Amino acid sequence: MTESQPLLDVSGLSIRVAGANRPLVDDVSFTLNSGETLCIVGESGCGKSLTALALMGLLDGTPLRIEGGTAMFQETDLLSASQSTLRSLRGDRIAMIFQEPMTSLNPALRIGDQIAEAVREHRGVSHEAGRARALEMLERVRIPAAESRLDEYPHQLSGGMRQRVMIAMALANDPALLIADEPTTALDVTIQAQILDLMRNLGRETGAAQIMITHDLGVVAEMADKVAVMYAGRIVEAGSTEQIFDDPQHPYTLGLMSSMPSLSGKSQRLVTIPGTVPSPQDMPIGCRFAARCPFADAACDAPPPLVDLNDGHRVACWHAPIENAGIAPGWKETA
Amino acid sequence: MLAFLARRIIIAIPTVILISIFVFSLQHLLPGDPILVMAGEERDPDVIAALREKYRFNDPIPMQYLAWAGNALQGDLGISLRTQQPVLELIGEKLPVTIQLAVMALIIAILIGIPAGVLSAYKKGTWIDWVANIIALSGLSVPNFWLGIMLILLVSVKLGWLPASGYMPLTEDPLQSIRVMIMPAFVLGTAIAATLMRHTRSAMLSVLKSDYVRTARAKGLKERVVLIKHALRNALVPVVTVITLLFGELLAGAVLTEQIFTIPGFGKLVVDAVFNRDYAVVQGIVLCTGIAFIFMNILADAAYRILNPRMSQ
Ligand SMILES: Nc1ncnc2c1ncn2[C@@H]1O[C@H](COP(=O)(O)OP(=O)(O)O)[C@@H](O)[C@H]1O
Ligand code: SF4
Ligand SMILES: [Mg+2]
Repeated sequence: MTESQPLLDVSGLSIRVAGANRPLVDDVSFTLNSGETLCIVGESGCGKSLTALALMGLLDGTPLRIEGGTAMFQETDLLSASQSTLRSLRGDRIAMIFQEPMTSLNPALRIGDQIAEAVREHRGVSHEAGRARALEMLERVRIPAAESRLDEYPHQLSGGMRQRVMIAMALANDPALLIADEPTTALDVTIQAQILDLMRNLGRETGAAQIMITHDLGVVAEMADKVAVMYAGRIVEAGSTEQIFDDPQHPYTLGLMSSMPSLSGKSQRLVTIPGTVPSPQDMPIGCRFAARCPFADAACDAPPPLVDLNDGHRVACWHAPIENAGIAPGWKETA
Repeated sequence: MLAFLARRIIIAIPTVILISIFVFSLQHLLPGDPILVMAGEERDPDVIAALREKYRFNDPIPMQYLAWAGNALQGDLGISLRTQQPVLELIGEKLPVTIQLAVMALIIAILIGIPAGVLSAYKKGTWIDWVANIIALSGLSVPNFWLGIMLILLVSVKLGWLPASGYMPLTEDPLQSIRVMIMPAFVLGTAIAATLMRHTRSAMLSVLKSDYVRTARAKGLKERVVLIKHALRNALVPVVTVITLLFGELLAGAVLTEQIFTIPGFGKLVVDAVFNRDYAVVQGIVLCTGIAFIFMNILADAAYRILNPRMSQ
């Protein structure tokens, strides 16, 4: 733990659809230091993307409202800042790449222009300088024959190449923070590994802190310094990568671990957690994992607070540390 | 792009030939013998025979067609029965008037329809969207002739700002020419503007939801740049197609509008020619209109390709 101010300090972030009775993202808190990579992991629909979009100030124009919390980024509260302040940070100090490389680039504009545009917007440089920077970035993300790619359109590139372009675009202004929302989910396995490699190397080279959103613990193991596990809009467990992988404490994290082939040992069989995530309408007031949790009891009707077990390892479970609960989890195996 | 245009023009040639065959057969399909009409009241057999010879009515029909098409290629579309002027000259006189009206109407429609569509999509569900939609709906439901007459009554008769009718060639006095034409162009443009607004709005609504617009915002671009450079550019692709389809409506509307404002254009030429059985003129008009349609389609395809790089490879 560093004593100095963290780069990003998110506290109590809650997001709700206007008029809904439960928030979709509820009281999410985490911190991130310069150069660190935080992985936010959780099943689809648990609020990972909403969290990222809220930090970017990109929820405008949707029915989603930020209901509370702060997100201090270098003296600015991202959650209460004006759109013009956010606009000057976006694509400059904080950049984001998205899950769908096939649709995230503008089909009508040339690759080079799309990268250079971000540079010109924030640095006010000339057309030529923007283009030179675009070329430099394409080379850095290891796009072959970068010079000739500048004037190509997105449809001329493969998915993996497009995601490289997105990375080049995001890093063009040397951001302090890069948010990557499932950047490899839509790609083939071999391409996934290449993109993750690239992101790790570029992260090291540029010193940019990264928030890597994923539902894949394999990605977490590859990339993370820190992990936050989300379930149904809440962080249920957070800590360093060692803490989470070596000593998982939340029953949901345990379930995720045993559903990972390489970590669950011998077989390639996937273990799935029985049951489904409660829908936002009938979200329980108490622990949101209770319906699927083998340890659940009467205590779990109240919402468990996220408490620090030791040295930054935070868990939201009434029965943590789980060793003391004395019951073996009964995850079922599926073929 | 040049190769594309060349290809499109070559592909258009069979279409032009088909149109010309159709136009030629008009002469034979329409009731009445054009030679008899040409020969006048006396129906002097010598004159009739001479005319039949001159227009090769004694030749087999394919030969007649070839002769006619050969003349047409050289710009000889025959002589108007009514005015004894060469048809090409008549068309050359009237067509620019109608083109000016149509182009001004289209410009007005684009200047109103596209920004209104962008704005109402961007402000979807707000009062701005409602007002734009209500105006568009009225633009679509108000008949051209009614709007035209009302405008003449208000702007010309009551306020005396603009002339109610007439025409001034663009080449003679451009300013006055535009002044005279602006009200008819507005009348003709409103319905088109409303259609364009509706299409722009729905195209913008779907584009604004797209991932690349979110990417543009994530880059920190100004909202204006996001809207115009990133969203509108893509939304225009279907709108351009709509503009092509509206071209027929525009021409038909022009004929009517010219009647209301007594503009001596193509519309008047068409009406006079049809009522007077002036076959050569009708033929010339149909031929020119057909070729104009083909030309407009090629232009629209070119615009479509410019806007949509996926088409260009
Ligand atoms: N624009 C929206 N309007 C209403 N609900 C939304 C919207 N976007 C996302 N949601 C809901 O918010 C929840 C979290 O979504 P998201 O953050 O995208 O999940 P993920 O963790 O898969 O990224 C989901 O239940 C989703 O249905
Ligand atoms: S609080 Fe209860 S229900 Fe929730 S995870 Fe812990 S044991 Fe399970
Ligand atoms: Mg997501």
